[in-house]
Amino acid sequence: MKNDFRMQYPLWMMGFIMVLGIFLFGVNSPETTEIVNTEIEQSILVEYGVIQGFVIVGSIILYLIMLFIFYMKIRRHNKLYPTQKIPSFAIRPPEYLEQDEGMTHITRIASQKVYTFMTWSLPALAVFAMFSPLPRIYTVLAILVVALLQYVIYYREIRAHLKEEDE
Amino acid sequence: MLKNRVKELRARYGFTQSDLGKQVDVTRQTIAFIEKGEFSPSITLALKLAKALQTNINDLFWLEEDGGHEK
Repeated sequence: MKNDFRMQYPLWMMGFIMVLGIFLFGVNSPETTEIVNTEIEQSILVEYGVIQGFVIVGSIILYLIMLFIFYMKIRRHNKLYPTQKIPSFAIRPPEYLEQDEGMTHITRIASQKVYTFMTWSLPALAVFAMFSPLPRIYTVLAILVVALLQYVIYYREIRAHLKEEDE
Repeated sequence: MLKNRVKELRARYGFTQSDLGKQVDVTRQTIAFIEKGEFSPSITLALKLAKALQTNINDLFWLEEDGGHEK
């Protein structure tokens, strides 16, 4: 079970979210932004410094590398477990472990915890977005934090139940 | 709370959790959850377990508030 990719899936999602956060930080901290809006010209000039450029390009490269490894992992999982295939593009999260009633029970407990978290974090996020004097980037970052935390909650719950023990 | 003798009877017959899981068509983890009392199986699974462990369901599962199990 430790090697079951569906259990590792939340960790991958956390990784993707963190890389998105790094990318967001890079694109939102340009050294110069110039907006030209005249009758004859409409343009936006954004100039990034060396560090910001490194963060942006680095995060894109990192994201693409992770995406490739992730895709290969899915392919490997599908080869090893032909009866529990993970579709590459699916709305239903593949980390659900529901091959029998015991595993469904674990998924249900973990999902309930995530749902409980969402019921209060989303309204709190909405209030934050409405009244926060901070720039919009902080709202987007807050959304990423909520997305990250839901996977942390899910993963911790599943891991607590699926610790390998001697028979 | 539902108590059980799955672990005891499984050991008596020399089955591993995986062996028993295969017999009743569930994962090893599900057998472990049942043994630890983390999960109450459905009637269908309970009956399958009783059959695999060659006992009857009342000897295999009982409610804690019933004052313990008499073998």
